Amino acid sequence: MLRLEDLSVRFGGLTAVNTVSLSVGSHEVVGLVGPNGAGKTTLFNAVSGLVKPSSGRILFDSADMLRTPLHRRARMGIGRTFQIPQPMHELTVRENLIVAQRFGTGAVDTRKIDEVLEFTALTDKAERHAATELALTELKALEVAKALATNPKLLLLDEVLAGLETNGKRRFMGMLKDLHEKFAVGILIIEHDIETISNLCHRVAVLNFGELIADGTPDKVFRDPEVMKSYTGASDA
Amino acid sequence: MKMSKTGLAVIFAAYVLVPLLLGSNSYVMSLIVAAMIIGGIALAWALLGNLGGMVSFGHSAFFGVGAYVSAILTMKAGVPVLAAMLLGGAGAVAASLAMLPVLRLKGPYFALAILAYAHIFKILATEWSSVTGGSAGLASVPRFPTLMGVDLSSKTGSYLIVLSLLLVFIAAYRLIRSSHYGIALRAMHDSEDATRVVGVNSTLLKALMLFVSAFMTGVIGAFNVHYINFLEPDYAFSGLWVTLPIVAAIFGGYRTILGPLVGAVTVYLVDQLVFKNLIPSGHQLVLGALLVAMIIFSPGGLMPLLRKGSRRKHAAA
Repeated sequence: MLRLEDLSVRFGGLTAVNTVSLSVGSHEVVGLVGPNGAGKTTLFNAVSGLVKPSSGRILFDSADMLRTPLHRRARMGIGRTFQIPQPMHELTVRENLIVAQRFGTGAVDTRKIDEVLEFTALTDKAERHAATELALTELKALEVAKALATNPKLLLLDEVLAGLETNGKRRFMGMLKDLHEKFAVGILIIEHDIETISNLCHRVAVLNFGELIADGTPDKVFRDPEVMKSYTGASDA
Repeated sequence: MKMSKTGLAVIFAAYVLVPLLLGSNSYVMSLIVAAMIIGGIALAWALLGNLGGMVSFGHSAFFGVGAYVSAILTMKAGVPVLAAMLLGGAGAVAASLAMLPVLRLKGPYFALAILAYAHIFKILATEWSSVTGGSAGLASVPRFPTLMGVDLSSKTGSYLIVLSLLLVFIAAYRLIRSSHYGIALRAMHDSEDATRVVGVNSTLLKALMLFVSAFMTGVIGAFNVHYINFLEPDYAFSGLWVTLPIVAAIFGGYRTILGPLVGAVTVYLVDQLVFKNLIPSGHQLVLGALLVAMIIFSPGGLMPLLRKGSRRKHAAA
């Protein structure tokens, strides 16, 4: 479904993503890991259209996305969340989803919005003001809910579990697993926690200094000494 | 669209009581019409600011272009005045097309770029003298017609026209604000990336708001030219057509629909009837001081202040 071919993103002299080739199949869950500054979020930004790649190709359902504007990518089925939640200010939780659904799919289906609210445990907060009346777990859930409201084929989840306390993390993990089953989406997820990735993902790709250094099953990748070295910063695994 | 009893009463008073009670006093009627002209531009300006999130210093361009298009069409092509006014609005929309490239700019950069555009249209009106009459301008611009026995060119007739225009603008603003487009526009203020990644074409929505705002301002400009019957570039593109509406909109509350109108009527009438008598020259200074006081004590403007006051009254009752 998503195929990156030799994708590079450069900011002046800095190469944030360096000739990365990676694919995510329909209904596949792929983890994207790597130390801070490895280029994970930049790669998400390139796929969702927030930054322009310097070279390489982004193919989604075989269509070249390089010239596709950001808003159209959402309509084609690419949904994303932000690491720091970005609720639409001035709107209630429900209005956030209405905007996402109306512009992401072209129509408003209130039944589907109720379903997404229930799935993300936000039904009770639907009429609350999104920017000021939600706790962090709820803001993270709203990020996922907005993306789901656009009826995505591929979800880019950027550290949705980061900053959550243990219980919240466990509940969120359960939700992510159900999400994959219920909404039949492919997922590319950035996450630091190896256990989470191992539980959730079919495959894991590792970025280090913008380069893809491993791509395979979690079992195989997390046994790779080079990966563990880059991940833990240890001189020897 | 629901209309409150107070709203209906205000509309009734505006259509019936004002002409009956004040219609014979042409000085007061001319002040009211002038205030409503400022109010119309203020409303259009606030729509762009509130929904589009853009601060424009270039609305005098739309006002001037609307005036020129309508005047030229009536004088040279024989188009009926009321139809030409709408075409004046369309002309302002066409002028705003030239401003589309600046939509990519944000904040002060947008404000300055659009101010520069306004000057281009003024230069055009001055230099293209075969059509616009150059710096001498156009005299004897056709007046409003008589419709169903009502002489629309009289002070009261003109008042009824501008009142009707404002009511249509208010209805359009309300419709846009409550639509999905309006909700998305509100969402874009502080979180443009968040709205774009869910499929909102933010540039298109902003452009649409610029068109609507330009159309409204153009129609008001066209109304004004048929009301005063002459036109010249310095007057049509004067910076006053944007500064006074900005003061009015901010004073009344630019985030509300009625705020700009209430602000315009309050600011203009108080200035002309009170301050001008007290301080014949330099009376605008008081307006500046009032605006500063309003921004300090009620940044949301007069409307939120009035609402707060009426809520307190209800709570005490």
